[in-house]
Amino acid sequence: MPEFNNFNCAKTIDCKQGAVRAVRYNVDGTYCMSCGSDKKVKLWNPATGLLLKTYGGHADEVTDVAGSCESSHIVSSSLDKSIIYWDVSTGTPVRRLRCHAGGVRCVCFNEDSSIAISGGRDNAVMCWDIRTRRLDPVQVMKDARDCITTVLTNEHNIYAASLDGCVRHYDIRAGELTCDKIGEPITYLAQTRDEQCLVAGCQDSVVRLLDCETGGLLSEYKAHQGQDYHIECGILASDAHIVSGSSDGHAYIWDLLEGKVLQCLRISDNGGVVHSLATHPKRQELLFARRRDMYVFSADLQIEELQL
Amino acid sequence: MDDEEYLHRFGTPLDPIQKDEVPAKKPLAIEDQIVKDENGKRRFHGAFTGGFSAGFWNTVGSLEGWTPQNFKSSRAEKASKVQQRPEDFMDNEDLGEFGIAPQGIRTRDEFAKDSEQEQRTGQRKRKLMQPQADGPIPGVPVLEQLLRPVRDKVAVRILKSMGWKHGQGVGPRQTRKEKKQASARNKREQYLREHYGAEELPGRSDGATDDDEYDAAEDEEDEDITFAPDDYEPIFYTPKHNRFGMSYSGLSRAPVLSKSSAVATPMQHINLFGELEKSAKQPKLSIRGQAFGVGAFEEEDEDIYARDDMTRYDFSLADKQPMAKKVAHVQQRHVIDGFSEDKASSTLAAPFAIDLPRDYVPRNWLQRRSRFAPMDAKRQQQLAAATEHKRAGLGRHDLNPEQRAQLLDEKHFKTADVQSKKNPFKSASSASTQTKTKSLLELINAAGDNFTKGGIITTTGEEQPAAVELSADLKQTNLELLAKAAAMTKDLPVNTAGAGFKPFLGNDAKQQRYEKFLAAKLKDDEEITLFLAVLQPVTLSLWDREMEKKEFIQAAKIYRPLAGLMQDRFVSEATVHAQQVEQQVQPKQRDKIVVERSKSMWKPSALLCKRYNIAEPFGGALPDAEKELKKAKPKMSIFEYLESSVNSKTDFQTPSIIPKHMEPKPKPSATATAQPEIAAPAPPVEIEKPVVAATPAKPAFVPKTPLEQAVDAARDKPISEKVDLFKSIFDDTDEEEEPEPQLDTKLSDMQAALGLPSSNLANAAAANVLRNTSPPRGIFAALFKPTDEPVAPAPAKFTPIEGNKLKITYKSREERLKNDKELELAQVPTAELYGPKMPDKLQTEPASTSAAAQAEASIDAKLQQLWEKHAPAKRKHEEWVERVLSSEDSEDDSTDSSCSEHKKVKTSKCKRSHKKSKKSKSKKDKKKSKKSDKSKHKSKKKKSKH
Repeated sequence: MPEFNNFNCAKTIDCKQGAVRAVRYNVDGTYCMSCGSDKKVKLWNPATGLLLKTYGGHADEVTDVAGSCESSHIVSSSLDKSIIYWDVSTGTPVRRLRCHAGGVRCVCFNEDSSIAISGGRDNAVMCWDIRTRRLDPVQVMKDARDCITTVLTNEHNIYAASLDGCVRHYDIRAGELTCDKIGEPITYLAQTRDEQCLVAGCQDSVVRLLDCETGGLLSEYKAHQGQDYHIECGILASDAHIVSGSSDGHAYIWDLLEGKVLQCLRISDNGGVVHSLATHPKRQELLFARRRDMYVFSADLQIEELQL
Repeated sequence: MDDEEYLHRFGTPLDPIQKDEVPAKKPLAIEDQIVKDENGKRRFHGAFTGGFSAGFWNTVGSLEGWTPQNFKSSRAEKASKVQQRPEDFMDNEDLGEFGIAPQGIRTRDEFAKDSEQEQRTGQRKRKLMQPQADGPIPGVPVLEQLLRPVRDKVAVRILKSMGWKHGQGVGPRQTRKEKKQASARNKREQYLREHYGAEELPGRSDGATDDDEYDAAEDEEDEDITFAPDDYEPIFYTPKHNRFGMSYSGLSRAPVLSKSSAVATPMQHINLFGELEKSAKQPKLSIRGQAFGVGAFEEEDEDIYARDDMTRYDFSLADKQPMAKKVAHVQQRHVIDGFSEDKASSTLAAPFAIDLPRDYVPRNWLQRRSRFAPMDAKRQQQLAAATEHKRAGLGRHDLNPEQRAQLLDEKHFKTADVQSKKNPFKSASSASTQTKTKSLLELINAAGDNFTKGGIITTTGEEQPAAVELSADLKQTNLELLAKAAAMTKDLPVNTAGAGFKPFLGNDAKQQRYEKFLAAKLKDDEEITLFLAVLQPVTLSLWDREMEKKEFIQAAKIYRPLAGLMQDRFVSEATVHAQQVEQQVQPKQRDKIVVERSKSMWKPSALLCKRYNIAEPFGGALPDAEKELKKAKPKMSIFEYLESSVNSKTDFQTPSIIPKHMEPKPKPSATATAQPEIAAPAPPVEIEKPVVAATPAKPAFVPKTPLEQAVDAARDKPISEKVDLFKSIFDDTDEEEEPEPQLDTKLSDMQAALGLPSSNLANAAAANVLRNTSPPRGIFAALFKPTDEPVAPAPAKFTPIEGNKLKITYKSREERLKNDKELELAQVPTAELYGPKMPDKLQTEPASTSAAAQAEASIDAKLQQLWEKHAPAKRKHEEWVERVLSSEDSEDDSTDSSCSEHKKVKTSKCKRSHKKSKKSKSKKDKKKSKKSDKSKHKSKKKKSKH
């Protein structure tokens, strides 16, 4: 059990792209991306706060973004019902994929970034083969009864969380769809590094830890306020701490096992929903999005030293 | 000096010869003086030394002689393609300063100084102003902005001399106040232009706005300080001459890249090289200017290739120059000295008037720019009031069941009410009997275990000893919900297969056929033809059959009931309600959230597996639900709807959309046990029946023919077991014929009773509303041209089976069989024929018609007689449509209008296709039948109108 170091704000970046809808790390955490309500995606260096590139081409607010495994491409989803596959270095859209009947809420890559998976307000999860020029999805899963809020994938599973209160596991290997009904609308879903558990942020201000294998509810984490907001949650790289945003401008970190609040990050005292966050894939580092700003929080000593 | 007279001088004079010098040579004689070029070559030679010098010493050769170009190409070394340029064929002097293709760089005439230009050309060239670009690209050409002319335009020079500076506006100087007003006006105009004008302004000078800021303080201080006016683009209003939309200008017919001058003047030089330019693939090859026949030092010939034109000649003897009138120069305001105002006013004589639709409401675009922008309250109210009737519907939903029962004079509802009083579940059973059964069902469900124990449930839902153990509020909510759902849906007719859309309302028989077609749910094209062939009346021609088939398929595609197209997108409200109720109830029961896990099969697509590097589960043998779904419902595409162009959409009768009867599904376990009990007390169908029957639009359920039943029964069987069915379809001819006439006669009876046009009168094609009746155009015009004998009426032997002509191409066995059948049928005596049956009265009438009328129809009658002579005896009594027409006309002859109508019919007969005339006739028949049966069926007719 790694000991918990308190997180401190390492950087505050004004993204200058309207409200920040989501913040994400790239695959190794060296860069981060922010999605703005001004229809643009921005690529940052979180350590220095340097804006590296702006990707413009969406016709509506960008809702989610994901970087490919070799960091050469980005895929972003937008409320304009399309997802765009970007070339990182040139900043040009390589492919624009339209098939969703509603705004696209979330997007992710599979492990080798050959498939992009998107979920949207049209209750559909779509898998896109982005290596080829095929413009229609490889597969469409329309099992959900409400908006898809998050899609995740690992080696052989696709997880889709929906506002209908269900987490659906599409097991490609077994050809089986497992639907875990929690009953509360799920606003966000994160996966532990060992792929054993899922962390589901629910609408009733509870973050729940689910067992992938049995579908059992392992633990509940309460402290934050999440009513009416699409609050994201996450699990830190050590798989020992759970973090969630809150609508009161704070963020909370829980101990995974005991379920008690370890730290309440006071990101701002004058309100503003901390709705999006991203956990660094290796280090003890966190990204938060609140209003127009992106916050980098860090507990790693290395970073602190660097800054000193 | 006499010598001097004979001396010809050219060139600059030499220095005068000194006295002591001895002239070396004699001066050269003229004939010896030879013009040479810079190489010492003789420039002119041949034909009186006026010839043209060309080539290598006036040969086509070269110093080396005429050596052909060598061509060498090997496998290793491919010969490169030789590019020939115009310069290869030119002499050196052509490339010189005075040649046709000068090589040196020099300023173009347009940019050259005046003196330079004059020096070069020897004459003053007048530069015309470039006409305003009329090309496909609107706005000021970009190049014009990039490349500024060296000198200003004349107008600009004039303005500058008058004290104008760049950036200022033109006009008299203004005081501050005036300027303010002017800028306000300009803004307004610009706004108008932006919103209505076609082209955008090319960037207005922003100086105007700057001024506004500092003038507030010193407002009325100085009246005598004047300012130059702001620059603005004046709007030139062009009068509208056409009915196109605002600022519409059609595409010009000239090709985009052609020079505008290409069509312009009649005095145009025929460019010999123009063709050369076009034919040559290489765009580089372009030789311009005169090359032959004119020496460098000669003046240009007249353009001998020019086309002459009479406009160049002067026909008048009068003095061309009019007397220069002395115009008294009155200096006008705003007019520059030396100019005068244009007197000829260019106002349009009559403003172009547009007939607006009567209910046209002009729209102020200022009010609401986008349809998503909020409206102001007043307008919203108005709109709401205007569309009130749309939302309210036909008022069918306003009545409650009691009111409706009162209207229908139904008594037994009262009793039901009384019964329901005793019922503890009042709210549900008071609504209708239908819901009462539901509530009963619910009761049974709820007390399922009690039921087996022996609890008594009466038909009214009273339960004696065994208590229901459901929680009270749950029951209540359930019942309320049911009642609500029932109340919402009870006016709707009970759902029948394919009852949703009725695209062929105009033709009952067709609609019925369509419904059967829908019910059969055939997929295969051949199956459909077979199926329809059984249904369709024999009178239908093959073409009509094909058309009908297409129409049906199309209609089925378009008017697919809601269930097909959008079922997966919508959930009925009742189920949503039920779910909500469930959800409301459940959280109360459990505090802790228990994750429910359910598993189902899911087939990942092959490509997905491949990309995930996973073998397909079960080797890809999983049934793919999605694919099947896809097969069932093709993608919604606009082009699919376009396919239906055979029937233009306007011709479709608006289908009456009858939504499905919505009900929350009762729990499946209970239905089986409860079914027999429900059947007895609730006959909701019977209650609604009178209403349904009253509307002629909905045909009553047609009982299935034995064949259809056989088809239905055999659908699921393997092919080997379908022998019976095939037999009944193909072999047994008698059976097939029988049901059809029955059905048809029944139908015609019904239609006659309703005063509708009998579908049998004309063939289905004539009555087909969807048929494109416009006269054939294009290549079809020739196909369907009426033959020379437009009057030739009756003796068409096979009128009822016209389609046979087309059958030559099709030679399948069944069709040949059918063909034979039809031929047989044509020889059947008239008594057995079905088809246009005339009223008995009419059949006797022709004999008693007046002589005059007979003369009118003499041609018809003669032909008729002629034919009757030669016709077999069997056919003597046949009454054909043409005959009926003549008799009817003669009957109506007394009135003037009908006479003209008759003529019209005749002319139309000539002009239009055969079919059309038939249609008009059938209309008349309809009229007539109406007349005769007026008194009888007055009431029924009224109903049919509804």
